Amino acid sequence: MSAITNTPPNHRPTHRHRRLRLTPYLFLAPALIWYLVFLVYPMYQSLTISFMNWDGLSADIRYIGLDNYRRIFFEDDTARLALWNNVLWTLGTLLIPTTIGLMLAVALDRKLRGRTVLRAIFYGPAVLPLVAVGMIWAWMYNPQFGFINYVLKAIGLGFLARGWLSVYETALPATFLTAVWGGVGFPMVLYLAALQAIPQEQYEAAKMDGANGRQLFWKITLPWLREANVIVFSLAVINSFKTFDLIYTMTYGGPGRATQVLGTWMYFHAFQYYNAGYGAAIAWVIAIITLVMAIPYIQRMSRD
Amino acid sequence: MSGRHVIAPAATTNNGGANIKPHRQLASMKAEQRFTDTVLYTILTVMALVWLVPFVIIVLTSVRSMGDLISNGVFAWPREIVLSNFERAWNIGNFSTYFRNSLILIVLKVPLGIIIASLAAFPLAKMQFRFNNIIFIFFLFGLAIPIHVTLTPLLVMMKQLGIQGTLAALIPPYVVFGLPFQIFVMRGFFRTVPSELLEAARLDGATEWGNFWRILMPLSAPALATLFIIDALATWNELLIALVLISSNESRTVPVGLLQFQGQFSSQYTQLMAGVLISITPIILLYIFLQRYMVSGLTAGALKE
Repeated sequence: MSAITNTPPNHRPTHRHRRLRLTPYLFLAPALIWYLVFLVYPMYQSLTISFMNWDGLSADIRYIGLDNYRRIFFEDDTARLALWNNVLWTLGTLLIPTTIGLMLAVALDRKLRGRTVLRAIFYGPAVLPLVAVGMIWAWMYNPQFGFINYVLKAIGLGFLARGWLSVYETALPATFLTAVWGGVGFPMVLYLAALQAIPQEQYEAAKMDGANGRQLFWKITLPWLREANVIVFSLAVINSFKTFDLIYTMTYGGPGRATQVLGTWMYFHAFQYYNAGYGAAIAWVIAIITLVMAIPYIQRMSRD
Repeated sequence: MSGRHVIAPAATTNNGGANIKPHRQLASMKAEQRFTDTVLYTILTVMALVWLVPFVIIVLTSVRSMGDLISNGVFAWPREIVLSNFERAWNIGNFSTYFRNSLILIVLKVPLGIIIASLAAFPLAKMQFRFNNIIFIFFLFGLAIPIHVTLTPLLVMMKQLGIQGTLAALIPPYVVFGLPFQIFVMRGFFRTVPSELLEAARLDGATEWGNFWRILMPLSAPALATLFIIDALATWNELLIALVLISSNESRTVPVGLLQFQGQFSSQYTQLMAGVLISITPIILLYIFLQRYMVSGLTAGALKE
């Protein structure tokens, strides 16, 4: 406003100012429209559907308020198991691939021969389609001919051999191990980038003061990794709650319903059992969790 | 930081003096260092071998006959190299169709998405307007939105548009889910372009539109290349949306096709692994040659300087 009142009337700058104000939105328009039509509007619709009893096909739609949500938390044992599996998956992801990734980053940050090849090997699985990863590991876990049982038998631990994906106790850990194989690359690469940003003088100065390796790590390295930690941890939680591909490919939620997670349980209800309303409610539970967890991450990303 | 810079050399000269004790300490530190490196190297090599095992297993499984696999075990060297598994997977498994579909999708979707994202990133990086930051954060939240929450309405929408089940149905959601990351990366890259360049062009009568295409985009070639590779990869790998929106065999993409293949040949392990190997070979080649771009793009997107 002040810009306009400061410039004399009927003068070109006024015109230019107005054009400048519209210009940003013209450039933003395609993205904003695309975003609103194919993301925000479907989200709003699925929120509406989540308050309905609907099979996803017929015209028979009934408003049932929060019943679908009540069912998730109080009536549906499988939904609660799925939520619990997601929590376990999240804790596992925060702990295992993250720690391995950090250790690999610290090790590969040194000037070791062949470190480029080593980095490529550890990051490699992360670029593969999860369907292919799941199929490869399902074959490794095969009860009769799989590599895992083959090795166990070869080293005299044959009594441990089993159908890893078809036994209740081992199905989820076995699937998770597959995720670890593909999941160390991303934290490793991020931590490597963060490590390279640490000024070397800090290490040299501390070494001269007699600090040992462990002290260097805890007192210098870790504090410098705070930024990377926020990103790695946030993405670990967000992606854990989105988990779908590996479970769907390797166990299909089984044996029984032992490895169901919210992502697969939502899929089964919305697209196999014709409970579109209930499926939408499960999807919204996932969305609320991931959106809340994303707040610190987005704060970091949008900071200048 | 600059303070440390001054302290470090001073400390070095102190220790580098004629003092014998620190000298010895230094020598023992060197030996310790060598020892650590050896241990580290051993651990890393063993881990790398473990990490490579699945790749070795797919190759060993897919180049032999089923009889050989059953009688000799998966880790034995194949009695005879059999390549017919690949031929049969490619033909019976319909992989030619899945490859074609995924490639068409990449060619249509990736440039479209990146151009839309770059257009949006320009004002967010280089113009001052009221809702700049709010719009940027609005886009960023897309990074956390699970696909799951849009699927049923998207299916209904595609039915209404009459493109449900076809490849075209995948383009709108694929573009949407690429936008947040691409806008973020392009905005970051555009900000590194000096504003004086744009200002000088404006004085010469260039429009913002002209500036975008003639200055910003050509200067952003490295970022665009990286985004192109990352996005092509994501498109090649995506499962859930394609699983819901694609129904016919002719329109399946590689991941959905792989699942179909798994259902069909569940106990034909040699053929199954041949199919998997076929589907990941283009990615592995891409990765070997373009690894630098892929990895640098990831960190550029996630970490800020």
